[in-house]
Amino acid sequence: MLAIILTSIAYASILAIGCAAITLLYTSTRVFSFAHASMVSWGFYLTYIFYKLSQLSPYLFMPFAALIVGIYGIIIYVLIIRGLIRAKASEITLMMVTLGVDFILFAFLNILIDYFYYNFKWDIKNVNIVLRDLTVATIVNTSVKAVHIIAPVTALLLLLLMHVFLTKTSIGIAMRASIENPTLSSILGINVDMVYMLAWFIGSMFAGLSGSLLTMLMQGSSTIGSDLIVMYFAGSVVGGLQSILGGLFGGLLVGLSERLLSYYLSSIFPWIYAYRFVIPLAMLVATLLLYPRGLAGLVERR
Amino acid sequence: MIEGGFFILLNVVFNVGIYLILSLSLNIETGFTNIPQFGRLTAALAGSIAAGGIIGRVAAILAGQPIGDEFIKANTHVISEVNNYLFANPLVSILLLILALITSILLGALIGLLTALPALRLKEAYLGITLLSFGEILRTFTYNYEPIIGGTLGVLTPSFLGFTGDYETITLLLFVVIMAMLCFAIAERISKSPLGRVMRAVRDSELAIQVYGRSVMRIKIYAIVIGSAMAALAGALYSIFTKTSRADVFTRYSWTFLPWAYIMLGGVGNNLGVALGVIVMSIARSMISIYKHEISSYLFNIDATWLEYILMGLVIILITMFRPQGMLPEKPVFTLPRDRIEEARKRSLKERASS
Repeated sequence: MLAIILTSIAYASILAIGCAAITLLYTSTRVFSFAHASMVSWGFYLTYIFYKLSQLSPYLFMPFAALIVGIYGIIIYVLIIRGLIRAKASEITLMMVTLGVDFILFAFLNILIDYFYYNFKWDIKNVNIVLRDLTVATIVNTSVKAVHIIAPVTALLLLLLMHVFLTKTSIGIAMRASIENPTLSSILGINVDMVYMLAWFIGSMFAGLSGSLLTMLMQGSSTIGSDLIVMYFAGSVVGGLQSILGGLFGGLLVGLSERLLSYYLSSIFPWIYAYRFVIPLAMLVATLLLYPRGLAGLVERR
Repeated sequence: MIEGGFFILLNVVFNVGIYLILSLSLNIETGFTNIPQFGRLTAALAGSIAAGGIIGRVAAILAGQPIGDEFIKANTHVISEVNNYLFANPLVSILLLILALITSILLGALIGLLTALPALRLKEAYLGITLLSFGEILRTFTYNYEPIIGGTLGVLTPSFLGFTGDYETITLLLFVVIMAMLCFAIAERISKSPLGRVMRAVRDSELAIQVYGRSVMRIKIYAIVIGSAMAALAGALYSIFTKTSRADVFTRYSWTFLPWAYIMLGGVGNNLGVALGVIVMSIARSMISIYKHEISSYLFNIDATWLEYILMGLVIILITMFRPQGMLPEKPVFTLPRDRIEEARKRSLKERASS
């Protein structure tokens, strides 16, 4: 029982980090990024590959994996998104172009996997290192794994960091201003382009971090991102797509309800467990139809 | 009987046929009316359910086979009995085939209507995500709920043209091609009709069309219903041709994102462009999968599957960045050919002269 609660909280926190990423990209550049899927997969695999090469704790490499994916974000922004935003492309065009980016990132990830297969004889089409996680403590016959602590703490830390960054630092305030009104901010001398680039860097980094934390929680293949992308979308829409904090809470809510709610319901109706993926989707649709402003709308200061 | 180069040709023609119908249906919704239909697979899956789940059972009743639990559990046996029955009754087979297509169109239209009514209150990215979610919900549900089309295992679809014997594949293919041409004619007709012009007006300026007293909502619903019906036809034809109906075939990649890439390449809003895009990309994809060993031996042993993804990604990105109008840009449509207009003018002049 406790094990399920712990896993659910860790899963929900990881989801929340990814939802914050989607929300950040949407609020800043109006891009609802399909490329998020492959970024998560890249974070997942980079962490694994570093771990496998060095045999050290995977946690050490998570920041590096996140950083590399963050750099992808900068490259994507500079090469593709910037031009399209200047050309005033519609939201749908931007969405479609990130789909193209997603295909390319996905292809290169698989090429990397094949490379390790042919040259190192690693069969890493399916990755499972969940059991390698450290056991921190044992409470009532339930072993508390490191990821059960680290994932929620990371999410909380990011929440605090983002809050401080957006309200206390001048770059953060510049970012909020550019999101609110790009024209006015550029008149005031804020380099909106740099701010957007930073947003893409941070957003992609969060996506990569979300993926790299997943290595310790579930097994997966290169499609782990695209399998979970609908959950990430659901979390960010439930969060309201307006503030990063909303995205974090939305992801938390969706993750918890997918795991815990389906667990509780399945003790009453055993057949329901197979349909647990429908819960987040139903939440997404319900949010959009009933209260499109989402969780962020509830606490909006106006 | 079928092998080598001939098989490749069949494969290309089949893909062109199915994807032409699918892309034209997407073009009606996205190209004409600007609805971001990221849930193309919803209607296609509905079509497959109509063919395999509904008409499969109707055929089973006619053949005196069970349609309940056993239809799923002993599906191979049931369908082989059904096929024997259909083989002996060509007329019934043809009627069932037509019935399957009609059912799929109706079910597709219904699913389209059901998704349109709640979703159309939203716009842009939100609308796209909602439509995508509807597709995922239907797919997850069908994949897990066995009584519809057998869940994870799927069901076999009866061979409706089994009585043609050795020529079955060719006949089915011909049928797919005829259906694709018919859909092209319908899409062209819609494009030139008053409805098509109103759809384009909705796309270009919702405000203007409201000023002229048209309901934007109603036009969008028409677009989704027509598009979904057409996509369901594609799904049904796919199931009938491949003789299986299963939910996990209807992936986001094949049934939503590929048609999107095709219409973007060909020219959003232009049926002829869409057809061109489908033909070019289907041939390119088939070539990659046929010559995958040759290609990968030149390119550092990279698996050709990933090359296909890279090609698709590059097509989407480069088209969006450098030629957003596609290979064949949309042109203003004339409601009637020029000579017909001239003819009508002359006729009316003559009538006036005679009176």
